[in-house]
Amino acid sequence: MKNTRKHLKQLIAVAGLLTSLSAFAADVKIIANPDVKADFISAREIKSVFLEEKNSLDDGSHVEPVLSKGGPAHAAFVKEYLGKTDANLQIYYRTLVFTGKGSMPKAEASDADIVAYVARTRGAIGYVSSGVSTGGVKTLAVTGTEELGSRKLITHVDPVYPPELYKNHIGGIVRLKVTIAPNGSVESAELVGGNPVLAECAIAAVKTWVYATGSSKTKTELTIPFDANR
Amino acid sequence: MYRRVLGLVFVSLCLSQGLMQAQDFKLFDREVQIHGFASQGFVHTSDNNWLTMNTSGVGSGEFTDFGANASTQITDKLRIGAQFYDRNLGGLGRWHPTLDWALATYKFTPWFGIRGGKVKTVMGLYNDTQDLDFLHPFALLPQSVYPTDLRDVTLAHEGGDIFGNIPVGKRFGTLSYTAYAGHRSDSPYSGFAYLVNSDGAKFNSFGGLQYGGDLRWATPLKGLLVGVSRMNEDVTLDFLSGPNDIRLNSTSDWTNQYYGQYSWKKLVVDAEYRRYWTNLGTQGVSMIQEDVRGWYVAGSYQVAKRVQVGSYFSHYWLNYPVSSLLPSGTGHDYDKVVTVRFDPNRFTNIKVEGHFMDGYGLPNQYPNGFYNANNPQGLKPNTNALVVKAGFNF
Repeated sequence: MKNTRKHLKQLIAVAGLLTSLSAFAADVKIIANPDVKADFISAREIKSVFLEEKNSLDDGSHVEPVLSKGGPAHAAFVKEYLGKTDANLQIYYRTLVFTGKGSMPKAEASDADIVAYVARTRGAIGYVSSGVSTGGVKTLAVTGTEELGSRKLITHVDPVYPPELYKNHIGGIVRLKVTIAPNGSVESAELVGGNPVLAECAIAAVKTWVYATGSSKTKTELTIPFDANR
Repeated sequence: MYRRVLGLVFVSLCLSQGLMQAQDFKLFDREVQIHGFASQGFVHTSDNNWLTMNTSGVGSGEFTDFGANASTQITDKLRIGAQFYDRNLGGLGRWHPTLDWALATYKFTPWFGIRGGKVKTVMGLYNDTQDLDFLHPFALLPQSVYPTDLRDVTLAHEGGDIFGNIPVGKRFGTLSYTAYAGHRSDSPYSGFAYLVNSDGAKFNSFGGLQYGGDLRWATPLKGLLVGVSRMNEDVTLDFLSGPNDIRLNSTSDWTNQYYGQYSWKKLVVDAEYRRYWTNLGTQGVSMIQEDVRGWYVAGSYQVAKRVQVGSYFSHYWLNYPVSSLLPSGTGHDYDKVVTVRFDPNRFTNIKVEGHFMDGYGLPNQYPNGFYNANNPQGLKPNTNALVVKAGFNF
């Protein structure tokens, strides 16, 4: 019993370290006001929403983006999801604003400010470092890009959050590369980023998911959130 | 003059941070955003006076513009807004404010939307943003394709657009389209009006129907965009020559533009080609024919967080039947440009730019920066220019 507790403490310490490393590596999670119906969002939708091409999700939920004014999470988000540099993004928004085609999105100074804004603003959607406490908002799982249209997710189950990790506020995100078989089942799931301590639970859940059938195998990337503050 | 430029730079730096704090307010429970910009330039040239300013000698600071807009999202799909713009560029603009754009946009889906009102015309990479100098690394865009004195010809139309983005899969990228139709008119303070008036006539109007489209393809190669634009016009130039009211109607007037842009990390490379053809006449007799062709290649690189360097080579020429008989410098312009842009903060920028020009176009027909009226001593084949510009936006 004593040994088990000791191992558990060691596991928690390692998990905590990995969580902080994950945050340091500027992994981001997508957060939304609880009013937003969706639990999942595709990378394509994220790009469309933040580039003001659309202001509702595929399920009809109204959304409005909020950005960070800087920092590693902002740099990672802009590069990974929008495919731009911060300078390019500012030019993009100013072009919209000064030609009458769009508005300047809200920008907040810190992750805490973004969480607070998203929590109080209907439809708000933002991004923060994966290790940030996100009470009062929901964290959206991020699915792949073009696959979503042709390989729609039919059924899914949430990953089982290990109680000891949850109790000790160890969370974050897990990024997986997933191969979907023609019959819609998940053939394989491989860890590509995030908190590896949570990978096993995420992979176990994702392997039970069922997508729409397709003519061939497709690959997609998923981001599964584990919110220790919910 | 130098004090005036430095003063504006200082005021810009001080004001921009404060203005940034006060750009939004609520009206009928809708958030209204207010944005604005201003810039002040100084130009010194070695020989010829340029862009209707007296730039040779001590130089000219008659290079000011500013604008402001208000816009709001009425519903998820409906947005309205308007912007005014004012400029004083030598003999152009003359501090007369204009309605730059005022429009309502209804976006049914990302792939289909409509907008109506006074709309900036989408053509090439920068036609609709050519006045917004803070968006570009250069103080002056390549004048072969975006002549700032003749900008009214393509700048905006009063009418409507349809537009949208069509994703064609990760393997094929995204297509964006715009189609438009409306009426355009030159300001009485535009380059062609300046040309007509300086020839002793009195400019009345220049404008008419404008319609066309733009198709651009964000290719699957990350950062590579290519596109094509076409504009047709059916216009009338009306002026008084002595007691006679002369009206020249276009029998054909069109512009084709082909362009590409490649962005890789902090590097941006642009290339565009434009051909402008017009045939104006009266009672079946052709009076003015112009076949103007221009192209440029430009590159810019962000060397530090606040410093960008850039360069372009720009060439335009008139496809003139007897161009070989024209005097040296006439009918063409080669412009080699280097620039440095410094952004002290997110809202302020200062640019220092050198132009090394060979040629001055056809000043009595398609002036493109060089006019006989403010070069009474006669135009010389080469012109070097130093352009310093400071601006802010919020």
